[in-house]
Amino acid sequence: MTATSATTTTTTTTTTTTTSRRRETDAQVGLVIFLGATAMLFAALLLAYAIIRAQVPGAWPPAGTPPFPRGAAAANTIALVAASLALRRGRHWGPWAALGFGAAFLAAQAALWHHLVAIHLGPGAGPLGEVFFALSALHALHVLGGLIALALAGPRRLRLLTIYWDFVLVVWLVVYVAVCLL
Amino acid sequence: MHIELPRDASLDGHLVDGAIGYLTLTTGIAFALALAFLASALVLHRARAGRTRGHHTHGNRKRDRALMFSVALVMFVAIDVTLALRATRDLEERFWRYPAADSTALRVEVTARQWAWSFRTAGPDGRFGTADDVVTLNELDVPIGRPIYLKLRSRDVVHSLYLPSFRTKIDAIPGMTTRLWFQATTPGRYEIACAQHCGVNHYKMRGLLDARTESDYREWLARAEIDSRLRDDPAAPSAPGGWDWETGENGK
Amino acid sequence: MNTNANADAGDDGPTAEDRDEIPPAPTGFLRRWVFSTDHKVIGRQFLFLGLGFLAIGGVMAMLIRWQLARPGAPVPLVGRLLFGASGGVISPVAYTALFTMHGTIMIFFAVTPVLIGGFGNFLLPLLIGARDMAFPRLNMASFWIMFAATAVLTASFFVPLGPPEAGWTAYATLSTAIGAPGPGQTLWVVAIYLNGASSVMGAVNYITTVLRMRAPGMTYLRMPLTVWGFFLTSILNALFVPVLAAAMVLLFFDRVLGTQFFIAGTTPGAGGDPILYQHLFWLFGHPEVYILILPAWGIVGDLLSFFARKPLFGYRVTVGALIGVVILSTVVYGHHMFTTGLSPLLGESFMLLTMIISVPTSLIVLSWLGTLWRGAIRLQTPMLFCLGLVFTFGVGGLTGLYLADITADMYLHDTYFVVGHFHLIMAAALLMSLFAAIYFWFPKMFGRMMSEGLGKLHFWLTFVPLNLVFMGQLVIGYEGMQRRLYDPSVYDFLKPLLPLNRGISHAAYLLGAAQLIFVVNFFASLARGARAEMNPWEVGTLEWTVASPPPHHNFDRIPLVVRGPHELAHPAARSLGRDWLGQAEIVDDAPAASPTPPAREPA
Repeated sequence: MTATSATTTTTTTTTTTTTSRRRETDAQVGLVIFLGATAMLFAALLLAYAIIRAQVPGAWPPAGTPPFPRGAAAANTIALVAASLALRRGRHWGPWAALGFGAAFLAAQAALWHHLVAIHLGPGAGPLGEVFFALSALHALHVLGGLIALALAGPRRLRLLTIYWDFVLVVWLVVYVAVCLL
Repeated sequence: MHIELPRDASLDGHLVDGAIGYLTLTTGIAFALALAFLASALVLHRARAGRTRGHHTHGNRKRDRALMFSVALVMFVAIDVTLALRATRDLEERFWRYPAADSTALRVEVTARQWAWSFRTAGPDGRFGTADDVVTLNELDVPIGRPIYLKLRSRDVVHSLYLPSFRTKIDAIPGMTTRLWFQATTPGRYEIACAQHCGVNHYKMRGLLDARTESDYREWLARAEIDSRLRDDPAAPSAPGGWDWETGENGK
Repeated sequence: MNTNANADAGDDGPTAEDRDEIPPAPTGFLRRWVFSTDHKVIGRQFLFLGLGFLAIGGVMAMLIRWQLARPGAPVPLVGRLLFGASGGVISPVAYTALFTMHGTIMIFFAVTPVLIGGFGNFLLPLLIGARDMAFPRLNMASFWIMFAATAVLTASFFVPLGPPEAGWTAYATLSTAIGAPGPGQTLWVVAIYLNGASSVMGAVNYITTVLRMRAPGMTYLRMPLTVWGFFLTSILNALFVPVLAAAMVLLFFDRVLGTQFFIAGTTPGAGGDPILYQHLFWLFGHPEVYILILPAWGIVGDLLSFFARKPLFGYRVTVGALIGVVILSTVVYGHHMFTTGLSPLLGESFMLLTMIISVPTSLIVLSWLGTLWRGAIRLQTPMLFCLGLVFTFGVGGLTGLYLADITADMYLHDTYFVVGHFHLIMAAALLMSLFAAIYFWFPKMFGRMMSEGLGKLHFWLTFVPLNLVFMGQLVIGYEGMQRRLYDPSVYDFLKPLLPLNRGISHAAYLLGAAQLIFVVNFFASLARGARAEMNPWEVGTLEWTVASPPPHHNFDRIPLVVRGPHELAHPAARSLGRDWLGQAEIVDDAPAASPTPPAREPA
């Protein structure tokens, strides 16, 4: 209400600014709702993981499962952290650096999957590897979506993209802790 | 037209029928009352000459709310709470009180697969998964007058053992052992059905339950045991394998 | 507050929304009618797509009924064309595919697009006083992803090893490679995933639109119930469609990459868990019931008030009840799994929670009944369909109690009683609300009136057979017949039910044929119906303050909302010679001081 009366007398320029600011807030609200939905997707998968894990008789991971290469997975985290940090570095090179780091993360994940299959932690070789594959593949799809968004609208939508990339990072950290560490 | 439940041949089926009957009565009354109210509103308060505008109320007064909540609560207590209490009692005292410790209970291992049931009872040695087990396909023979205790597994997809005349059913799920008990009271042949869609021939997954008097049953058992020995080669991979009743370990 | 708003409206100062430039209407054919970002066009696209699939799903239902009425008899007329390989007879494989696709199409590709995609899109901005959705391009993408989903689903009919056959619930392990080795089921999984993506995009848009785009003065408690319905539905969609998506992802992995999330090993405990699929599916599936019924409740709440010429009885209680249902709907799904051997504690908790839902639900029904009482009820076509919903929802809701009761459910689970129960809600009540919405908003959507005479005929020829079909299903379920049986006569105890099944089928054919009246009415009115005025039903919500059909930008000037949506029989309207006040209409709210004699009003 106060905003309304305050701007009644102002010029068209400030009006446009108000409008675009409102649009920006709209977009942020929408993004947060979308990320809430995405969080439910990962939460459901983590619930599935918890149920599978609770039903395995004896210790987790089941006997005969090769040790998970935690170090390699942890190293990939660095690329995502770097992408998030880069986005806070301004419009000029931030988005492009983040694009590079994100792509590097995907490449590193692909290498990790290849390695997992080689050491018999891939699909069809026991629940631990399968859970990791499902979660990390879906996560990678969201990283890919983030890369496309960066390429298309990087500098213009910096604040939205920062929120998105932080979310992608948090999801990855949760997946890593839940599947690789616990 | 005659609307009736299938013939009840079980000890506890009347509890299910009772719950259904109570529901039909109470929900019938509730629905009839609502309908009567609706009909009178439509008759009395229809727009016509001299009645062109409704009564202006938002129904937000305390009185209106109290009315709505009390009707809802009366319904909730009269139907839902009563039923929930009744169901909980019946489940805990009858349906979920499995005759695990009852030595007179007939134990049967049920293996479901697309699209047949096999029923296995322990032979004279009292142990499952041994050569003297009595295995029948799509036919379950039980004595009347003592509990029948079933454990179920599935080889492929989810099935559901449905005994209409015993008012019960339980799913057979791959990777799990589920259980069910009932007691037959009236000798006769009753149908066993699959209730869970299990593929193209789901409709053919039919079995027969033969409830016999105790002496009749013993006679049958002796014959069936010989049949089973002649028919089933325990070493053959196709033989529907049983499992150890207590530990769940697969038999040979 | 009220005086403040009135004062604001008094001067001509533009409101916050008004300073938006009015977007120019697109001119090219593609931009206008195909890749449009206009919520009204997208709403109509969803409407036509959904109605098309409603017809396909309906034909499938007729074929299912044919098989149940005359097991193994060749289908007349279209039999040779559809089932040529079996001489016009529906084979067990075809029958299985039919009921699988009937369920899938009706729930995901007919009712969802018509109700949520179609009416949600068309109505939300108009009802809250906005020029469009918050994200018009996302809206367009949502439609085209839904379209892609329908293409994938259609493709699943034409692949080797045939269409999906695991039922619309696609229970593992029947839906994994164990029970469904062909690519048809994989395409089904992809189609459902895409459908879910479309729903979530829609939900993000709807929620943001309601949160951010309401016209000044449109407080939450002044929103029409229709808006509440779509708003709450969108929240459930955003939260629980992703859970279905998770199930689809895991099922996809099981089918394509050879994982074992839902495939059990030979000994219990080893490998995955088929029940996990059921948990995920119903964690979504039960809210889904409410996802579909909430908009219907909203629409019916508004329309009952409009046609009873009286404010909705207990608006606030109803809104509270809707929210209560939304919350409860997330914790009751276990009642779909009573026969899977749930632990007693879980089973009893789910039973009790399920029963608690009947409290808010009966509050909603009581609000409908209270609205009718002392109204001046106009029995026009939309009203007839609303009253039809009150009836079918009553039967459908009450029969739900049988299935919430675990003891009764042991017998009734997976029988036709369940089929009858959920069809009374998901088919009967939803169809009633859908038709009510179409008859009511058709003038606004297309600028022409539908025929009242044909509409009433359509109602009676729909309402009567509809109830015969679904109550007939309740009866054969009560007598023990299982669902999804190709040929019930395999069972001796079901043989006596054949005449009843035939009767149900005949009612179903009549129901199907009656829809031709609707088709004729729809298209004839589209072409030659009487021009609709701005406000043919004489009600006060915002969509009736703009032309029929509305201009591209909806509102020349964003309205300033000063009252709730149901101000009918308002004393202040007497002086205007009518019985309703618009939501954005500035009049002296105080009742006339002098006791004027009641003026004669047009009926």
